[in-house]
Amino acid sequence: MSDNKSVGAQAPVRRIELEEEGTHAPPTVPGAMEYDYTNFYFGAGDDPFALLEPFDDWYSQVEPAGYYLYELPLHTQPGTRVDITDTKTGEIRRGLVNFASYNYLGLSYRPEVKKAIQEAAEIFGGGASGSPILSGTTILHKQFADEMAAFKGKEATLLFPTGYSANVGTIAGLMRSGDLIVADQFAHASIVDGMILSKAKSRFFRHNRADDLDRKLSGFDGKKLVIVEGVYSMDGDVPPLPELIEVCKKHGARLMIDEAHSAFLFGPTGKGVAEDQGVEDEVDIHLGTFSKSLGGQGGYVVGSQQLINYLRGFSRSRFFSCALSPVVVAGLRKALEISQKEPELRTKLWDNVARMQQLLGERGVPIGQSTSHVIPIMVRDDARIFAIGEELMRAGVFINPVRYPAVGKHKSRFRMSISAAHTPEDLLEGATTIAKVLDRYGLCQS
Amino acid sequence: MSVVGSYRFHTGVSAFFEMATADARALLPDHLEPIEVRHQRSVLSVNAFLFDDSVVGPYTEVMFAVIVPPLVAAWGQHAKAGLFPFLAATTSEEARRIKSERFHFPYYDQNIDAQFIETKDRVRIRVFGAGAPILDLSVTPGAWETTTHLLQGFMMNGTERLRTILQISGDYTVHENEGGDMTLFPHPITTDLLRQEVSPYPFREHWFKNGTEVFHKLEAF
Repeated sequence: MSDNKSVGAQAPVRRIELEEEGTHAPPTVPGAMEYDYTNFYFGAGDDPFALLEPFDDWYSQVEPAGYYLYELPLHTQPGTRVDITDTKTGEIRRGLVNFASYNYLGLSYRPEVKKAIQEAAEIFGGGASGSPILSGTTILHKQFADEMAAFKGKEATLLFPTGYSANVGTIAGLMRSGDLIVADQFAHASIVDGMILSKAKSRFFRHNRADDLDRKLSGFDGKKLVIVEGVYSMDGDVPPLPELIEVCKKHGARLMIDEAHSAFLFGPTGKGVAEDQGVEDEVDIHLGTFSKSLGGQGGYVVGSQQLINYLRGFSRSRFFSCALSPVVVAGLRKALEISQKEPELRTKLWDNVARMQQLLGERGVPIGQSTSHVIPIMVRDDARIFAIGEELMRAGVFINPVRYPAVGKHKSRFRMSISAAHTPEDLLEGATTIAKVLDRYGLCQS
Repeated sequence: MSVVGSYRFHTGVSAFFEMATADARALLPDHLEPIEVRHQRSVLSVNAFLFDDSVVGPYTEVMFAVIVPPLVAAWGQHAKAGLFPFLAATTSEEARRIKSERFHFPYYDQNIDAQFIETKDRVRIRVFGAGAPILDLSVTPGAWETTTHLLQGFMMNGTERLRTILQISGDYTVHENEGGDMTLFPHPITTDLLRQEVSPYPFREHWFKNGTEVFHKLEAF
């Protein structure tokens, strides 16, 4: 190539003396914003509190510079418009278009759901007051588990207090030291933590790459579990399940899918991405959450009765946690019922997704490779994303910035969640505001 | 803090590869633990610097290191990361002699040859030993900025545990776009140390230009 230049041979020969010991030259300290959480994760030495002070000193500098944008308190339900406290100024910012909540079908605040919750509170009170295996299981839990199994077309369901505990409890409940777990490299932290707790040998394959999964499964004799997600929460893309299933079959591996962001949304009946790709019955373990599309809380695993029987005894994250509040379960039952009775909600969601992609595309907003209701707005600038996030909030949009280490270095983005509840006016106002702010930073493509 | 060595460089790359944690542990002394980038996967840092301005003239240094946690320091002197070099090689016997004495880096005792080939979208480093290929590493750029990194380097002098602050300043780009790649060839330098599985592509690519690498006084701890 003509523009190649081999600099090894032609380097200029200039010489200076090495500075000798005793020369004082304090280092130029990097700016606080050049650090991140990972720089304070590991500490050497004997005192577990040794990192607290340097971390606190660092955080006191970076919080007002952008980290305050996390955990902003809401004053309203997670609807399409929200009021939040701007913790930097103390002001309450009202009527922001909400693209941050997971309320994909807008079910968390449906009147029927609220009514079911109120009625359950009258009967059961606030909490379950016990582990599901002891006193925490109510008739509502039983009914909801049966309804979930029927919805997913499986024999049985096990309910968990959170999606996190569902992954941890299922993976660590099933796999043992000496087994092999291979997960997509973008697998959620709860999957990774389940792998760690299981003590099985762990490998990660390159995102959505069946050829790399094949490599990672090769040469291992023993029990094998492959774990993927339905929709990857940072990029909004989906796995190529038929290809991955073929590889699993070749190696005799079981396949588990976490449909946290895809259950109740994808497929002809809303079962999820596995149904959408026509492989629902070829996936061995289906897992998900109730906190996203159903707008409640909790997690689940569905499968054969034998699988559920076994996990009931070996999922320690469920066994040793308080059961889901019956109040929450009552709301979830109603939300599940609505999601099945009103398939038009899914239609509305996908219409909204298409509309938002069009609005953002027309304005040159870079949105990555998403094929779902999770739309990453790519900023790719770790230094400026907080400033942009602050402007967006003050311009009337509530959307979460995501930067390293949640995503790779300089893969910063805003994660936009589209809901069926968004109105055309919400979408237009949101897209217009986002484009206007991003354009000021030169991030819109003309 | 006292400066022991200051080295100007034309080009420097540091590429992070996943390696098995069991392999990383085997390369570390007992008092150091590898940082895991994900469960059971630690970080192999492959570094190549083209020094253009030193007492021994221009030379290239290649260094393999395991990334470890830095020792805690007050904010303002807090290193971003720590590294334990377990293998180094240079094109200059004199540079090797000086740095061995000062920093106790574990140098390969023969000269290597190195070639930096820079194009618009990547820099490729080819390393040879006695005419045989050792390493072929490519790193790609992201957005460039001028910055300073504070790192901690850990070394052993016999049974003595040593550490130093390493300050790298210059034009800099880093990303995780998986644009680079690496081929490690069977060679006496690497055979004993890197025979286990190492990812063929870097998950993080650092590329420096026109900068300075400053080593501070070694401390025993």
